[in-house]
Amino acid sequence: MAFDWSQYRCAGLHDEMFSAPDVPRPSARALLAYLRSMSPKELADRRLAADLAIKVMGITFTVYSEGKNVDRAWPFDLLPRVISKTEWERTERGLKQRVNALNQFIQDLYGDQKIIKDKVVPAEVLDDSVNFRPQCVGVKPKFGVWAHICGSDLVRDGDGTLYVLEDNLRVPSGVSYMLENRAVTKRVWPEIFETTTILPVDDYPAQLYDTLAALSPRPGDTPNVVLLTPGIYNSAYFEHAYLAQQMGIELVEGSDLFVDNDDCVYMRTIYGPKRVDVIYRRIDDLFIDPEAFRPDSILGCKGLMRAWIRGKVGLANAPGAGVADDKVIYAFVPQMIKYYLGEDPILPNVPSYLCMDEKQRNYVLANLDKLVVKPANESGGYGMLIGPRASNEEREKFRELITKNPRNYMAQPTLSLSTGPTITDDGIEPRHLDLRPFILSRGESTYVTTGGLTRVALVKGSLVVNSSQGGGSKDTWVVDLDEDPEPLVAATQAAKSQSQSQSQTSVPAGVKGVG
Amino acid sequence: MLSRVAENLYWFGRYLQRAENTARLINVNANLMLDLPRRMTLGWGTLIEIVGSTPRFQSLYDQASEENVVRYLMTDERNPASIRSSLHTAREILRTVRDTMPRETWERVNDVYFYVLERGDNSIARAPRQAFLQQAVSGTLLIYGVLTSNMSRDVGFQFLRIGTNIEQADMTTRILDVRTYALLGVQPGADLSPFESIQWMSVLRSLTAYQMYRRHVRMRVNGPGVLRFLLQNREFPRSVMFCLSSVASTLPALPGNRKIERAIERTRALVRDANLDVQLTADGHLPQLMDEIQIGLGELHDALAETYFSSGN
Repeated sequence: MAFDWSQYRCAGLHDEMFSAPDVPRPSARALLAYLRSMSPKELADRRLAADLAIKVMGITFTVYSEGKNVDRAWPFDLLPRVISKTEWERTERGLKQRVNALNQFIQDLYGDQKIIKDKVVPAEVLDDSVNFRPQCVGVKPKFGVWAHICGSDLVRDGDGTLYVLEDNLRVPSGVSYMLENRAVTKRVWPEIFETTTILPVDDYPAQLYDTLAALSPRPGDTPNVVLLTPGIYNSAYFEHAYLAQQMGIELVEGSDLFVDNDDCVYMRTIYGPKRVDVIYRRIDDLFIDPEAFRPDSILGCKGLMRAWIRGKVGLANAPGAGVADDKVIYAFVPQMIKYYLGEDPILPNVPSYLCMDEKQRNYVLANLDKLVVKPANESGGYGMLIGPRASNEEREKFRELITKNPRNYMAQPTLSLSTGPTITDDGIEPRHLDLRPFILSRGESTYVTTGGLTRVALVKGSLVVNSSQGGGSKDTWVVDLDEDPEPLVAATQAAKSQSQSQSQTSVPAGVKGVG
Repeated sequence: MLSRVAENLYWFGRYLQRAENTARLINVNANLMLDLPRRMTLGWGTLIEIVGSTPRFQSLYDQASEENVVRYLMTDERNPASIRSSLHTAREILRTVRDTMPRETWERVNDVYFYVLERGDNSIARAPRQAFLQQAVSGTLLIYGVLTSNMSRDVGFQFLRIGTNIEQADMTTRILDVRTYALLGVQPGADLSPFESIQWMSVLRSLTAYQMYRRHVRMRVNGPGVLRFLLQNREFPRSVMFCLSSVASTLPALPGNRKIERAIERTRALVRDANLDVQLTADGHLPQLMDEIQIGLGELHDALAETYFSSGN
């Protein structure tokens, strides 16, 4: 007996696999046909096989608690999230456009600040930004690129619109899990790859290496590229080790590096000091150099900023790139795209209300029970108010916080996040999900991962996709229907529009953080 | 290779070897105690002396009873050289250098570490102890097996080898130092009393050398023979000479190292030239000889640290 997919309850939700109950979207049709042929017993066996593969492949994430770090198996849901190639091509264009504008914006902020002089972005936004680094003023990194690696979070609302929820320009993580998820899927469902054209994702490490190598201050030679990690207690250590291994570069800690009198960076090897050309740093700005930033940091390397400013070493991402990774500055990205590129944004922002603007603030204060209020510079979903779910006291507390420091807050309407079928102990149920693609910028070209990392809230009704808080992930397929060997039946338009008009469950946007 | 990684691999080798040697040491002592008459109180305190941990042990326990010593050496977290602590340290080191070793290494280290963690405290008593120690020894041997059959002979592997061999040479001299103390002063070549013979045999057994000794030496167990075998034999992997030669054999694969070569050569000469026939007589200076070898090993470690582990400073 196969699982009864007609019982899958996705009415009233925007589901990524179904346009209406029992009506699969064209891109998911082949997958569903395959799944339908599978008995619950078979499905359970595949699930076990996936768990085993994850254990054997050593895919873990680290949770640091009670003074010990514990490696946990990576939570993975077997049912992939499917995106059509046509939709993805548009999304990819939108992401490239966005990151291009963001990089120009960062360069402008640390340079002439034209966008502020032209009053497109108000000056006070910058004055109060905690991620603006005065040390970077006047620096012009190679190609004018600051955020070489960007992870943007996309969410889909009930009406099907794909929004950009936030851009992570500091040290975005998760890409290794995107790669490992695909490796697990290939082990567990090898048959599907025969009948469906699923675009590969494995190119990322090579693309990342090229992006990093291009930053070398000594072009011509084979550059010495390293990945700088805070060490084994960091929750993303698995990813650091994984990427270093995939790219064949050294995984270094701060104590492995030093800056000599010639302002060049060296690493300590058994052969003596060896010059470092490019550092892919996975340590936050404030910790990379005790000489320039926090003097108490033991994670970084003294003199790194000096070496970078003098052009002796490439740093990715550039220090100070996080200035555009700010929930208030986020609201200005559409204007930036217009200002720098003269184009209309391809991917919309989630509508945002800035509390620094009096009119918008009044709207926020009058609608605290309907909105999600976010502080400008927190990540990981901290310090947030989810209006519809908050108590009266919490709302009053936020009213006070906003009035006291309006620059630090913005608000967004609650979105109805899309869902995907997910295996649970009780069968297959819809769960909310988001998507984090990764964008590599190297000046002359931009690369976007094929799909990205889909994160899923494994708890029923939950919107928290963080792996440390009960979130899981899915493999993400970008499917090329034109090359599909199976002829396709036309989509049932009626069913599709029906599901969209039924979208009732209203849930807050972005109750989640950086994984 | 990064200096930090090289140093970590070196210490990984040392801690693994230490865990294995400690397990053997406890086991052999237990067997020896069974054979000795009650009046010969060799006692369990000897083991604490061998691992050089007397002050710390005394600060933690009232007396060197069997239970206290076994607990201290097997599972006590406060003893950095206990089997549990050694495996714990080895595992923590491995986390940082996982990518340099075959993936299976990590799984096998976890197997033995979690076994010790789960069973250790219930394995102090004599009956379950033997099986526990056997399992700990097998677990570590399996890790060596994975490493020798699956790991490329790159520079990282050389640092592992250096670590395991220096640790083994160190442990062998410690065992000889403490174990032979009670047996000094017996005329070489003289027939030993049955109990003395048992003790020399236990020295060999602590290092799993009994069987190999019989094959190589082909005469009954006596003091000078045991000393010669464990210090100078070139074929037995736990003899000091063998360990030093193993370290020396790694050097061609490593960058410039005159200082290390000299340190090895000095210690090798010391071991090679020792007149072991007189060491056990009244004119002998066995404790001094062992001290000198230990100092030589210490210098070797310092030379390694200076050359490879802190370069660029």
